[in-house]
Amino acid sequence: MLLKDTPIRHKLMRAILLTSSAVLLITCSFYFAYEFFTFRNTSIRQLSILGEIIATNSTAAMAFDSREDANEILSALKAEPHIVAAILYDKEGNPFSNYPLSAKTTTVLSKSDFEERYSFEESYLVGFQPVIQGNKRLGTLYLKSDMGAMYERIRLYGIMAVIVTIISFLVAYFLSKNLQKSISKPILALAEISQAIAKRNDYSVRATKLGEDEIGLLTDAFNQMLEQIHTQNQEIQLFNKNLELKIKERTYELEIANKELEAFSYSVSHDLRAPLRSIDGYSRILIEDYGDKIDDEGKRTLQIIVKNALKMGYLIDDLLAFSRLGKQNVTKILLDMNAIAQRVTEEMVAQNYKTSEVTIEPLLSTKGDSSMLRQVMTNLISNALKYSTKKEKPVITIGSYHENDYDIFYVKDNGAGFDMKYYDKLFGVFQRLHSPSEFEGTGVGLALVHRIITKHGGKVWAEGKVNEGATFYFSLPVF
Amino acid sequence: MTNSIHDVDVLLVEDNPDDAGLVIRELKKINLGNSLYHLSDGAEALDFIFGRGEFSERKVEDKPKVILLDLKMPKVDGLEVLRTIRDDDRTKLIPVVVMTSSREEQDIIRSYSLGVNAYVVKPVGFDNFSKAVAELGMFWILVNQSPR
Amino acid sequence: MITRRYIFTLFLLIGIVFLSPAQLSGPSQEYQVKAVFLFNFAQFVEWSPSTFPETETPMVIGVLGEDPFGTYLDETVHGEKINNHALIVQRYKKVEDVKKCHILFINYKKKDQIKQALSALKVKDILTVSDASNFAQLGGVIGFFTEEGKIRIRVNLEVAKNSELSISSKLLRVAEIVKSENN
Repeated sequence: MLLKDTPIRHKLMRAILLTSSAVLLITCSFYFAYEFFTFRNTSIRQLSILGEIIATNSTAAMAFDSREDANEILSALKAEPHIVAAILYDKEGNPFSNYPLSAKTTTVLSKSDFEERYSFEESYLVGFQPVIQGNKRLGTLYLKSDMGAMYERIRLYGIMAVIVTIISFLVAYFLSKNLQKSISKPILALAEISQAIAKRNDYSVRATKLGEDEIGLLTDAFNQMLEQIHTQNQEIQLFNKNLELKIKERTYELEIANKELEAFSYSVSHDLRAPLRSIDGYSRILIEDYGDKIDDEGKRTLQIIVKNALKMGYLIDDLLAFSRLGKQNVTKILLDMNAIAQRVTEEMVAQNYKTSEVTIEPLLSTKGDSSMLRQVMTNLISNALKYSTKKEKPVITIGSYHENDYDIFYVKDNGAGFDMKYYDKLFGVFQRLHSPSEFEGTGVGLALVHRIITKHGGKVWAEGKVNEGATFYFSLPVF
Repeated sequence: MTNSIHDVDVLLVEDNPDDAGLVIRELKKINLGNSLYHLSDGAEALDFIFGRGEFSERKVEDKPKVILLDLKMPKVDGLEVLRTIRDDDRTKLIPVVVMTSSREEQDIIRSYSLGVNAYVVKPVGFDNFSKAVAELGMFWILVNQSPR
Repeated sequence: MITRRYIFTLFLLIGIVFLSPAQLSGPSQEYQVKAVFLFNFAQFVEWSPSTFPETETPMVIGVLGEDPFGTYLDETVHGEKINNHALIVQRYKKVEDVKKCHILFINYKKKDQIKQALSALKVKDILTVSDASNFAQLGGVIGFFTEEGKIRIRVNLEVAKNSELSISSKLLRVAEIVKSENN
């Protein structure tokens, strides 16, 4: 686990433990080093003390040439196990007594060693201590000590250091465990509360301030923030409530408006048409029954009346379809566009356009509102057919392809086409790019197509060249 | 046109006289003119069918062969007449052809699948009528008739 | 000529060989050591301050009887000082001659002589030393004796105490402590 991811209480404990360990280690090391370096001096001092004592005690033995006594005095050195050898030399430097008794030596002491001297030679500490009574030199004491004492001491220190370290570490551990609580506990409490709040989304909860330190400040700031959020949330909720109310109102108003529109459309549909029916019907009667009594001009006049009544009917139909569309919902299902195109084409061709050649390429199946898309196909295909009548060989192609999450369909004709200059007017209501004498039409068909496709979330566009035909595209999103 | 109120083959219920005029003219062309009776509102139609009020002389059993029913009528409208006829055992089997003025009404009628057997679009011409008759399976109505 | 000198030298050598060392040379090895010992005693014994009325008062080592040390004792103490007191050697022929003396070597051999000398002295503050046998038991403070060729000492602590002499424990360690014999 990365250091930055360990819990705070571990971080704190670690910090405390490491610090105390480091301090202890440094202290021990210093002490160690100090002891090591002073031990040499201590050893020398100790040996010299020993030497002085022995020397002083052995003056009589030297003075009175009592070897036994000297031996006895030297043998007391066995109390110090680190003394490996001791020799008492008389004033000429001849060995007089030695310790241990077994190690008899005959080497005469050189004059240079008559002086008091303590030094380290190889791994031993040796000393020469003159034996003096009054101010008469009676002889020289030689002492040889091994460094076992020092090593022992070092070892002892080592063990002590380890024990102290262990104990200190344990104490530090338990202390730090308890002391870190004063920091980590409030932090943990704060963290817990934040988690709880985030989980339950309850911003009315507040964290308890446990002290006046920085964590306390944090707690205060946190609570302040919560207060703000809480207040804002409440405001938002209130706002939403109001909004919802407004929406309800508006929806209600809309529904009413829609109902009114429905009623209106129905009215229009039914009542507006009735007179048209009469105009149309009775004009025909006139022609039928009194045709022989009316001259051509009269008949033509009546034809015009009939034609206009019909036209008005179409206008009404288209307008109604267009307005009705406004309140309709798009119910998307998977459609077999091939079938739709096929049926529509058959209807159209059967009705009016027998000479046209219509090719339907395999069309993609797409999702959309059945009746609406049917209407689109009807309008586009009928347009294609209508505007191709002037051509000798009208050729209509219906196809589709997929591009960038959209299914794109097109109806292509080689008819009258249109001037791209007037592209903007193409899809407007009642906008026409041709005069009624050229091609009949209400100018609503494309507007209807545009509205339906827009409702599906798609786009409509077209390309055209005067007298060379036009291609109308519409796209439907695939999701 | 005043016809007898008895032995009526076709009952035309249409409030618009001009529309009615057109329908009658067409029906006459196919020789149904004499056995046709025209009423202008739903209430009258119900009285006629159930032999009440004005038409208390009629009997219910003397059912018309087919009723051409306009939908939008004052007082009692077409669908109500239809419902009433269908609710009554004596009359529920009378074939009813509903006349719609536009396709939108067809949607309404479709959702009212209570016994609407056929509908024709006004103005009712021969083609329209014969199609409806075909749907009703009443070929015999046309037996004596022939298109002009 | 050569023969005479040769014979003379020969006789000299013979004479040297046969003549008693005591008569011919100075003190024997033994007495050299004893002289040194006497000097050393001075370092291990404390006399009461009354024996040194002044700082210049010398420490006196006396020899009662025949001087066996020859010049050696003088040589040993020559120029030496004990606690800043110069050492001098005095020789006494008779007990009565003994005046101020710190260490007195009594060179009597006979028991009676010793006893008489000791009782006559009866002076405190004198460290009586002798190599007569049982000297310490007889009432002397320190007696020399030879053991295995080595010169050893016997100390009579009681007499030392009575004489107001303080003998260092260091000296006592190398000595044999004895008591007075009951006469």
